[in-house]
Formats: sequence, structure tokens, C-alpha cells
Amino acid sequence: MRSGRAAPRGAALALSLLVATAAATARGDVGAADNEISTLKKLSVDELMEIEVTSVTKEPERLLDAASSIEVVTSEDIARSGATSLPEALRLADNLDVAQKNAHDWAITARGFNTDLANKLLVLMDGRTIYTPLFSGVFWDRQDYLLEDIDRIEVISGPGGALWGANAVNGVINITSKSARDTQGWYVESAAGPELREDYGVRYGGQLASNVYFRVYGKYTNRDPQALESGSDASDSEHFGQGGFRLDAFAGSSDQFTLQGDLYNGTIGIATGGDSRLGGGNVLGRWSHTLTDGGTTSLQVYYDRTHLVQDVPGVIFAPAGTFVDDLDTWDIDFQHHFRWGGRNNLAWGTGYRWTHDTVGNAPALAFFPTTLDQGLFSAFVQDEISLRPDLRLTLGTKVEHNDYTGFEAEPSVRLQWNPTARQMLWAAVSRAVRTPSRIDRDLSEPAPGYLIVLLEGNPNFRSEEVLAYELGWRAEVAPGLAMSVSTFYNRYDDVRSTSISAPDPVFHLPFPFYFENNLEGDTYGAEWSANWQVLPAWRLHAGYTLLRENLWVRAGAFDYNNALNELGDPEQRWNLRSSFDLPHGIAVDADLRWVDDRPLNNAGEIVTIPSYTELDVQVAWKVTRHLELALVGRNLLHGQHLEYGISNATSIPEEIQRSIYGKASWRF
Amino acid sequence: MAFLKAATRSRRWIRWLGMVVTFAGWAIGTSARAETAAEYQVKAVFLFNFTHFVEWPPAAFKSPDAPLVIGIFGEDPFGRTLDDVVRGEKAGLHPLVVRRIHDPAEAADCHVLFVFRSAMSNFAAVLAAVRDHAVLTVGDGDDFARRGGMIRFVTASNKIRLRINLDAVRSAGLTVSSKLLRPADIVPAGGD
Repeated sequence: MRSGRAAPRGAALALSLLVATAAATARGDVGAADNEISTLKKLSVDELMEIEVTSVTKEPERLLDAASSIEVVTSEDIARSGATSLPEALRLADNLDVAQKNAHDWAITARGFNTDLANKLLVLMDGRTIYTPLFSGVFWDRQDYLLEDIDRIEVISGPGGALWGANAVNGVINITSKSARDTQGWYVESAAGPELREDYGVRYGGQLASNVYFRVYGKYTNRDPQALESGSDASDSEHFGQGGFRLDAFAGSSDQFTLQGDLYNGTIGIATGGDSRLGGGNVLGRWSHTLTDGGTTSLQVYYDRTHLVQDVPGVIFAPAGTFVDDLDTWDIDFQHHFRWGGRNNLAWGTGYRWTHDTVGNAPALAFFPTTLDQGLFSAFVQDEISLRPDLRLTLGTKVEHNDYTGFEAEPSVRLQWNPTARQMLWAAVSRAVRTPSRIDRDLSEPAPGYLIVLLEGNPNFRSEEVLAYELGWRAEVAPGLAMSVSTFYNRYDDVRSTSISAPDPVFHLPFPFYFENNLEGDTYGAEWSANWQVLPAWRLHAGYTLLRENLWVRAGAFDYNNALNELGDPEQRWNLRSSFDLPHGIAVDADLRWVDDRPLNNAGEIVTIPSYTELDVQVAWKVTRHLELALVGRNLLHGQHLEYGISNATSIPEEIQRSIYGKASWRF
Repeated sequence: MAFLKAATRSRRWIRWLGMVVTFAGWAIGTSARAETAAEYQVKAVFLFNFTHFVEWPPAAFKSPDAPLVIGIFGEDPFGRTLDDVVRGEKAGLHPLVVRRIHDPAEAADCHVLFVFRSAMSNFAAVLAAVRDHAVLTVGDGDDFARRGGMIRFVTASNKIRLRINLDAVRSAGLTVSSKLLRPADIVPAGGD
């Protein structure tokens, strides 16, 4: 969507090996927490009973119990990284391949397929899905939350379709914000530097009644343009404002009500000319109830509206114009978890989503029909069976009905074995699908009436499918040293390809190109990660991923892009992170990462983005309990470097510049 | 043009510095508020305190300087916090160690056993394993005390209270100091 040339770039099957989680031990509150603990230990029992507690349902150690390749980024990890946006925070999850395209656009995926329009990852913000049905991807530039209020980000690599449904093909990102009860009082932040020109955030949390808490927040970000290869500014600066609220009410110990919402508005520049104006909002309500038998139910309803106005450059005979998209989403979801018969941990749920999408077509980019209403019905059931105290079998499936392809089933089988209390082996087989998005079915580039249509959606486009085999190991190898290895073999079918039409009789041109499902292939790889608490004040984290991918055109079929369009992934990545606490409230964090060559498709030929090494450093000083100052350097090793992008008629690669900024945050 | 840009940038830095100074001023002028702490940090410190306010029969230890084991059964809500709390600490001559266990049979080797609310489905097996052993069972599940647990953490108005099933504690051969009993709520066997 961003480049008008959606088809010929597109797909990449690749894997990204992610380093998985491992975080088992070494997470948690280090630093500041040590001081708090020694203070708490001095208190008497009576005094301890007077401490007000905040229930951050963090369950960190649960990771040693999670039979999947999951990595959890905690609020502390985010704070220590100096991240100013969600994509920057996602760099902390080794099992994600995160590449910055320009000042505001990112390519993010797990286990491969990091194409221009990456579409195999499901992303949820507090239970609200944030991918766009236009191409099943995420507009990362319209999610500008106050990171201080984010509680955790769970990143699961591998299929999550059995629980999460369609599009959780290669992974799920689950972002959870803190309860309003845990964000009481004022928080003010301000950051500035040459690249991150300005970033202001304010939040206030208060109490309305004895068990009713709220917070309101606002954030404004202004980013400097990134650079072209020549060093001159690309015209892609960003201005973005977002605000919102969250209300949490607790009724007794068994009921919790949450109401939250956000509003945002921004303008971002596009390097090829023009800009993109976006706005939107959402409101979500959730009721969680604990039953007398210990089971839980939750009922969630949300409404989400997004509005996009984007300048689209001209193509051939179609002049430049403006594309408009308005999407309204209503969603209701019910879940019930309970234990049954001593051995079974059951969960089931059902939901319905209704979307109303209206586009205002540009000459060079159009979707038909211009108004489309769609319904998505879903239901899932999962049973976790304790076969023995050390052996657990999880069976589950989701069944969905969508308006494009009808019923889709996404089953999964998972086995977990804890040979000792400190290690766990797991294995899983899962099926997941990516159902068609509007681009696959409804696209017309340019719109009809401009002499020639170059690329069209295909009304017969089917779901893409993966069958994934996974094997993993997670262990506390020694006190303070936790490790995780995940391996996988994925078999893909019906992946998107681009076909050409029979040449017209006059000019012998093979247009329009159109999408089909002619690709198949496999990927395999491994994700490794380790956390080591070297000293009480020093923690190291290392991650490595390996990804091999083979994608080919089904025998007897054709793909204009030579099966390259779904590829866009480095074969290997590693990173090393060090977190050090010095006396006087000073904390030093550094993150060194290396990313392998990245092959991108350009009309059936590979363009390689060279491998690179980069370094982020944050030095933070807690001046008082209320004030913290930080100096952050991002991408310190190069004046500017390329992470993603090709050069053709509709796109210009942009290089990411070294960024240094200062930040002050104040809470009381 | 480049010169112009550098100039505007330096102005931004000055603005930022100004803000920092302002913030520092605000911070100094702010008074302290009521202390709060994370739930499981406080519960970890409670567990640590129990090792001092509960007396185990000598037979509960293999030797006078054998470790006192704090076990966590099933899901572990503490993260590293409990390890940090007991690091380098002793109860008398007994160094404190934390052990995470998944098999109820290992429960008898612990002196304090914490059962997180999500692990209650296996609680009957745990109780069977620790019967006739001097194991202080602690939990925060809703029906923990009713089902035979000894000390339950109850969160009320964001503060943690203790409910002690004194009969269960005594029948395990454990002695609880009055320093712990006084502020706690004593419940009868089978009570909650």
C-alpha cells in the first residue's frame, strides 16, 4: 500500500529464526527492586500488612511452563531500552525480525515472509486486533502508545491459530497495558534530539471510588526525516498525537470491569512525495468474572475506527491522486476457562467481528467494491490434559467462518514434558491459515478507465496455509542462567503468486497481472536465547536466530516474481544485550545486534540489503524518586544505514540515521 | 541550508535543557506519597519472615546447618524476587534456599511450601505428600485454607492479610511465634 506497487514486491518466505525466550529466570525487577526488597525486609509483619500492593499479574516464571516459543518483553525491559515507539520496543524480542523502513514505517515479522506488506503476524493491543484487512498487515505508524503504561509484550513465534485465529500464521504479538490501578499519580516525560525532535507524554491516574481506578494520557511525537543514500533528507517526517483513558473497577474479588479507549491523529511524509494523514479511535469494554469453581469467564466488546488519507503517485496513464480508507470494526468475544475432573484445564470461546470498509479510490490505486461489509464468526476449544504430573498434552482448534473462503479450521496438538523442575521439553504440530485480504481479492492498480490495468486482485484467491512442526527446550541451566531453544519446520501451501494475462492482440502486453496461489515451500530454523544474571547488578541477554527458506512455483504453474516476492528475510541474526546497575541510581544498558544480508524482490530479481551491525546505548540516572534523566543513542555505529527498501518507479530506499536524544521523566 | 538546520537543532537542545531544569525543580518540590510495592514482592518478604517466626522440629532437618527449603509448587509468580529476598540469608544456622517443584512427591522435602492459586488443582496430592512432615503450607488460592492449607494470603483493600489455620499448623508439629499470630486472623480448621 505504501508503495503503489504491491504485487511485485510482496512476499518472502523466509524464516527468521528467532531467538526465543528463555527469559525464564533472568527477568523481573532487578535494580530498583533490590532497594525495595531490602527496605521491605526491614519491616515488621504488622508494617508489611500496611503496605499497599500493586498486582502486576506478571507471572514471569510461567515462561518455564510455556510450551511454545514465547518471549516476554516487560515494562522494565522497555524502560531500560530507551525505546520511544512500539516497533523499537519490539526489537527486544529476539524472535521478531524488525527492520526500519523510514522514519515511521517498519517491516516486522516472525519466522520469515518479511515482505513489503508482511501479513503473517497477528497483533493485539489489549485484546483488540490492530492489523488492517486491507492487506492483513499492521500500520505500525498509527500505534503510538505511552510506553510507560505498557505492562508487557508477549511475542509468540510459530502458529497461534488454534487460540488466536486466522493470520496468526507465523506468530502473535500480544501487547498488554497496565491496569489503571498500577498507574496512579502523575507521569510526565519529555525527550528531544536531532532525530527524535520532540516527544512529550503525560499521564494522570486517580481513584474514583475505593475500587475504581482510572488514568488518562496524552502523547505527542515529532520525528525528523530519515535520509536518502546521498545523505539528503527524505521527506518523511512524522507528527503524531495520541490520547486515551483506561478505567478499571473491581467488584469484590471475583469481578473486574475495564473500559478503555484511544484517539489519535497524525501526518507522515512519504519519501516519493506527498503525505499520509491518519486518524482514528477505539473503545473497549471487558468484564472478567471468577466463578465459584475457580473458573473464569471474560466478555469483551470493542469498536475501532481508522481513517487514512494517502497521496498516491501516478502510474503510467493514471495521474497522481489521493486514496482514502475508512474502516469501522465491531467485535464481541466471550471466553470461559475452567478445570474439569482434576486433569483437564479447559478453555472455550466464541466471537463475532463485523467490519465496514469504505475506500475512496485514487486513479493509481483502487479497491472494488468501494464499500465492503464483512462478518467473521469464530469459536475455539482447548483442553490441557495432565497425563502425569510431569507430562501435559494440549489439544485445541479454532474454527472460523469468513465471507471470502467460508469455514477454516486451525487445529494444534502440543506436548510438554518437565523431566526435572528446571527444564522442559515441548513439541507441537499446528495448522494455521492466512485468509484473503482486500488486496488479494479487490485490488486494481490503476483503477479501470486509465487505459490499462497493471495488477488486479483475484476473486478466486484462496487462503494461504501452513503446517508447522516445532520442537523446543527450555531450562534453568544453572542458578541465574536460563536458556531456550526452539526449532521448527514449516510447510506452506497456496502462497500468493503473481500471474500474467494472455497478451492482448494489439500490443501483445500481458496485463493485467493478477494474484494466484501458485507458491508452495518450506522453511526451517532455530531460535536460541539465553539470560544470564552474571552479578546481582549485571545481566546479559543473548539471542540468535537461523532461518532457511525454500519457496517454489507449483509444478506446471507460473509466478512472474520467480517465487521471490514472498521473501525478504535475513538468514541469521544475533544480538547481545547488557544491563548494568551502578551505584547512585545509574543504569547502563547496551544492545548490539547483527543482521544478515536481506534479499528483497524487485520484479523477479533479488536486491540484497547488506548485513549490518548496530548498537543502542542508554545511560539513565535516577536523580530522585521522582525524576529520571536519560541519554540514549540509537544506531550509533553508522551515520546512516539501510535496513529495508528497494529502488524502483514507486519506492525509494531510505537509510536510518544515528539518533541521540535526551529524556527526562518525572513521576509523583 | 545546512547551517540553518544546525542552528534550529541547537535551539531544540536549549529547549530540552530548559525542560530538564524545570523538571528537577518540580521533583524537588514534591513530597513523598504512601509507599506501594508489587504484590509478590511483599508476599516474598512474608515468606522470608515466616522462616523466622515459625519453629520447625529438629527432626525436620538432616543436620543443624542443613538448608531450610522454601518450595514453590507449580506456577511461580515471584520471578527472581524470592531468590533475591533470601539470597545470603539464614534462619538460625540454616541457609535459606528456594526450590521450584512440579511433582507433589518433592513437597515433603520442603520446609515452607508456597502454592500459587493456579496450582490448586493438584493441592490434594500436595497435602497427601506433606502429611506427617513438618511443612508449612502457604498459598493465595481462594479455598486454600478450607482445603487444609495453613497460611493464606488474603488481599483486601490492596493490603495483604494473613489467615492462619492454627490447628493445621500445630498438627504438623510447627510452632508459630505470637509476633506472627497477633496481627493475623486465626481461622478454625476447615474455615476460610
